[in-house]
Amino acid sequence: MLLNGVRKAAIATGRGGGGIGMEPTMAVSLRESLQQVSDPRNLDASVEEVFQMMLGVNCRRDSSPVAQNDREPESVTAVVGFGGLLSGACVFTTGSSAALVIAGHMTGMEFAEVDDTVEDGIGEICNMLAGVWKGKVPELAANCGLSVPAVITGRDYRLHVQAPEFQLHHLYRFGESSFAVTIVCDGLQ
Amino acid sequence: MSEIRTLIVDDSSVMRKIVERSLRQAGLDPLVVYEAGSGTEGISLLMTKQVDLILSDINMPSMDGLEFLRQIRARNLAPGVPVVMITTESSEEHVKQAILAGAQGYIRKPFTAEQVKERVLPLVHAA
Repeated sequence: MLLNGVRKAAIATGRGGGGIGMEPTMAVSLRESLQQVSDPRNLDASVEEVFQMMLGVNCRRDSSPVAQNDREPESVTAVVGFGGLLSGACVFTTGSSAALVIAGHMTGMEFAEVDDTVEDGIGEICNMLAGVWKGKVPELAANCGLSVPAVITGRDYRLHVQAPEFQLHHLYRFGESSFAVTIVCDGLQ
Repeated sequence: MSEIRTLIVDDSSVMRKIVERSLRQAGLDPLVVYEAGSGTEGISLLMTKQVDLILSDINMPSMDGLEFLRQIRARNLAPGVPVVMITTESSEEHVKQAILAGAQGYIRKPFTAEQVKERVLPLVHAA
């Protein structure tokens, strides 16, 4: 439900084949660039860039199969929708303790609980990841809009997308903190 | 140097803080910051406050940054004040749209304090 709402907002943003306030562009197809769009290295490079520049930390891809620490009381998930040539979403998920660390690095403040500022920070991280990731492919940079981030906080929920065109799901770690980034594409022009 | 009155427009309070910190790290001092969480709020602030610099996000709900920029130019609010757009959108087309709407500078997120310094300081000194 939420994912659909976020995607619709991005589609409205990217309608006409362009981004925000842009004129409709010539017919462009991403089908021929699918390999480039779904290249997992683009996601890794985007995560490294955002975390290095905004948090000053180096992330490494974590290949261990466990996504979240089971002891985490709750998780924080941010979703930014894509609309235009590509429809789908960028989803950033982390445990509450890692969310506090990330927001602390971003703001220079200390947080004891997940509050509006922490959720805002996680939403911005997801927004930047989505923007940097789509910027890796020129056709996407110019012809795919982003929604504003939506943030979900809670426990015992999971994301399900029916028959996506492609999906990237990577786990990353910095220090003692870990997080997951998922790119879901359910429509490609 | 006299104080630099700066309006930061972003729907994210965290990004407003990061932009403010980057401006201070860039050497803009003394700095007086006015914050707005939307383009509409930014316009209201400009009706009552004089500023020397405006930094605005583009992708915001209700009134996006480009519309905010068009409206302040159309209403002649903050005439001659440099406006720098800060956004995740980085294509040539987006930059062109921002310049056409009246922006003097463009910073892509994520950014470093050094990039903010390079893009903003010359505008402040030229104004």
